[in-house]
Amino acid sequence: MKYFIKRVGFMALTIFAVCALTFFLMNVIPGGTAKLVLKHTFVGLEESVTDEQLNQISDKYDLDDPLYLQFFRWIKEAVLRGDIGTSYVFKKPVLYLLALRLPATIQLAMVSMLIAMLAGVSLGIYSAIRENKISDHILRIVTLFGVSMPGFWVALLLILIFSLRLKLVPVTGYGSLENLLLPAAALSLHSVAAVMRVTRTSMLETLGQEYIRFAKAKGLPLWKIVSRHALKNAMLPVITVIGFQMGGLLGGTVVIEKIFAWPGIGSLLVDSISARDLPVVQGCVLAIVMMFLFVHFLVDMLYTHLDPRIRYG
Amino acid sequence: MKCKNSPLIILLIIMLTCAVLTTSGCSSKDENGTGEVSGMEVTSGSDNASHPERGSENNTLVLGEMWDIESIDPINGDGTLVCEKAAITETLVGANEDFSLKPELATSWEQLDENTWEFKLRNNVTFHDGSKMTAKEVKFTLEKVISENSKVASMLKIDSIEVVDDYTLKIKTKEINPILPGVLHYPDTAIISPSSYNEKGEFVKPVGTGPYKFESFDEQTRILTVVKNENWWGGKVGLDKLILKGIPDPNTRAMAIENGEIDFTVDVPYSETDRVDAIDGINVEKYKTPRVYKLDLNLKHEPLEDVKVRQAISYAINRSDIAENVLYNVGEAAAGPFLPTMVWANKSLKPYSQNLEKANELLTAAGWVDTDGDGIRDKDGKPLKLNLMTYAARPGLPPMAEAMAAQLREAGIGIETEVMEMGSIDDRREKGNWDLYLAAYNIAMVPDPEYILTNWYMTNGTDNTPGYSNPKVDSLITEARKITDPNERYKKFNEVEAIVYDEQPMIIVAYYGCAIVKKDYVKGYVFDPTAHDYRINAGMYLENKS
Repeated sequence: MKYFIKRVGFMALTIFAVCALTFFLMNVIPGGTAKLVLKHTFVGLEESVTDEQLNQISDKYDLDDPLYLQFFRWIKEAVLRGDIGTSYVFKKPVLYLLALRLPATIQLAMVSMLIAMLAGVSLGIYSAIRENKISDHILRIVTLFGVSMPGFWVALLLILIFSLRLKLVPVTGYGSLENLLLPAAALSLHSVAAVMRVTRTSMLETLGQEYIRFAKAKGLPLWKIVSRHALKNAMLPVITVIGFQMGGLLGGTVVIEKIFAWPGIGSLLVDSISARDLPVVQGCVLAIVMMFLFVHFLVDMLYTHLDPRIRYG
Repeated sequence: MKCKNSPLIILLIIMLTCAVLTTSGCSSKDENGTGEVSGMEVTSGSDNASHPERGSENNTLVLGEMWDIESIDPINGDGTLVCEKAAITETLVGANEDFSLKPELATSWEQLDENTWEFKLRNNVTFHDGSKMTAKEVKFTLEKVISENSKVASMLKIDSIEVVDDYTLKIKTKEINPILPGVLHYPDTAIISPSSYNEKGEFVKPVGTGPYKFESFDEQTRILTVVKNENWWGGKVGLDKLILKGIPDPNTRAMAIENGEIDFTVDVPYSETDRVDAIDGINVEKYKTPRVYKLDLNLKHEPLEDVKVRQAISYAINRSDIAENVLYNVGEAAAGPFLPTMVWANKSLKPYSQNLEKANELLTAAGWVDTDGDGIRDKDGKPLKLNLMTYAARPGLPPMAEAMAAQLREAGIGIETEVMEMGSIDDRREKGNWDLYLAAYNIAMVPDPEYILTNWYMTNGTDNTPGYSNPKVDSLITEARKITDPNERYKKFNEVEAIVYDEQPMIIVAYYGCAIVKKDYVKGYVFDPTAHDYRINAGMYLENKS
């Protein structure tokens, strides 16, 4: 229990620090907030902005107040009323925008993680069992390819093959499983490779342990040795990597979202940064940080389950 | 422990539960307790809108729009252009192909005295909610625009609007403003019904007068659906339904139309236009839009202060090469700030053609010679090196910057290109630490030359980034403002164009283009050169779409 309180305290502290950092950094990057908000709403990117307009926007959102005051106001509203602001560009509450965009990101992240886990772990085990055989080498080269190929290129290739040639899935769209497959596959590529490599290494290490030799000597079949004895012990580093990958995926990936016109949080965040839509940037960062912390909390809990020697408290 | 010994299964179960939760529409932010989104209604149409039934509605056109559709509010924000593109809204004043004005919702206008204008309105226009459009609603819209958008307000310079009768409007301006009718062609001044707002004054949906009326907007997938307006004042409307979805990536747009998911789109990658055009059943048409690729020169920096250096740069650039190999003819080599098809353009100007000998002569005359043999000219020990900044939001800009850098290098001018974010560009422009800035500027938000020439070339004009100042230009523009006879005004403006053509404070590189990509069964499309990007026309229809 004590551990939980401590943990939650740390989480709150992290969230606060990240919010503060985001807020001040956003105000440090060059280009005035009011000016860029105007360019992204009223006048067009290249057009000039009148002083009157600048004053209008600055007054409306109190952008001329000292930064600490703006930040304090934001924190106060967020903590007391759960209101994390209204978008300058969309003119909608940030929570509402997040509720629209987050499900798409989470869906995509979950499915690509699922692909990464299934494919990564099983390929990793396979590769470890067949260490230094030809199939192991082929798999390792293929994963090297997976780690080094840029996501957007793979995405376009996937569209070309599965949509245009094979006519299996549509190019863009949101809402059904068939729309989800290509972006998830493109997104998971990197994670598949990462998970596979860690599984392989960790599995090899475990397979060299004495208790495995003992199990072999006992005459247990290979699949039993792997699934009952080796896998569980090899899982710790794999879970860590999965946690990190998941965190990355939840942040959304702008490139994949842009290509598939996927209504996720990544493109919202990037567009908001270039439009200096501070409340939305804050909201997105807040959501990403919270999900990240949550996933890591889960990972830590899994640790104790996997290795009862690990105790928190 | 035995039964739980697979951590994978546990993790799987957790993830699946989460996935089910999220897909069933649960907000994931429940963990912290603040994430309750209540009282908000999501226009959910993703089921029908993202999967337009093919075949069942043969007269539905699916359009792949080039930007994400973020808003549908034509006055306060981002929705202006999409309402224009989807032909939901219309303005009082229209424009012909040569950008001369023509009646649209207003049938005629007249300047009664210096500051008073009278607009006669069309008497057979109904809004999409069925109510008649009268002077009252027009007054409502214009006043709304003036209060929300101070830039438009500063162009309109309206003092008061008076409803004379149902179809007559008297507008008083604060000062003489010959471009008032032109500003009323600005898409931001499109007329909407007060029923676009709820009782609390919040915007709900655009209720306009155009050939297509708003049906739904899915805020999650950002798909906008409009349907035929049976009572359009302009006559018959070709399509039953039009579905617009934002596909921001040009490659994806190309593949989506190739795959038959969309029927109409714009700006596939310029390099792909010919390949897509060659595909059976798809055609690509290239048009010019009212926008130019323009290179601003910082006249406050020593080498560029010299008109000879500026002319040399202009001679060193191979415009036709750029239009052909960078823009793939989506765009064209440019002479002056205006399209030659515009009624007020100075048609005697021809684009500078690349002439390295002339560039060499001019630079040598200005004192820039390559003395140390490194390929870069120098003067008093200082090399002729300039930085060129641009941004990536328009796909033609970064490759154009690279091409120009290579061409200028041939003339002995070293160029360092930088692709930057708009905020940083603005910052550097304000601080003055830049040499060249390549951008794509709109040239006819208002179909009148005064607006552009004033902003670009007048001393302290709002878009006069180079810091150009020429008393002759200033006086010509000021004189022209007081002239109401269009031809006399245009004569003065032509003179301005000729002066800046010689002095090159900004180098107009190319006219901006737009590639319209559509299926062969899309018929009756007429490109509106005065629209911003493009606009759907009422005469469009589908022929035997399978």
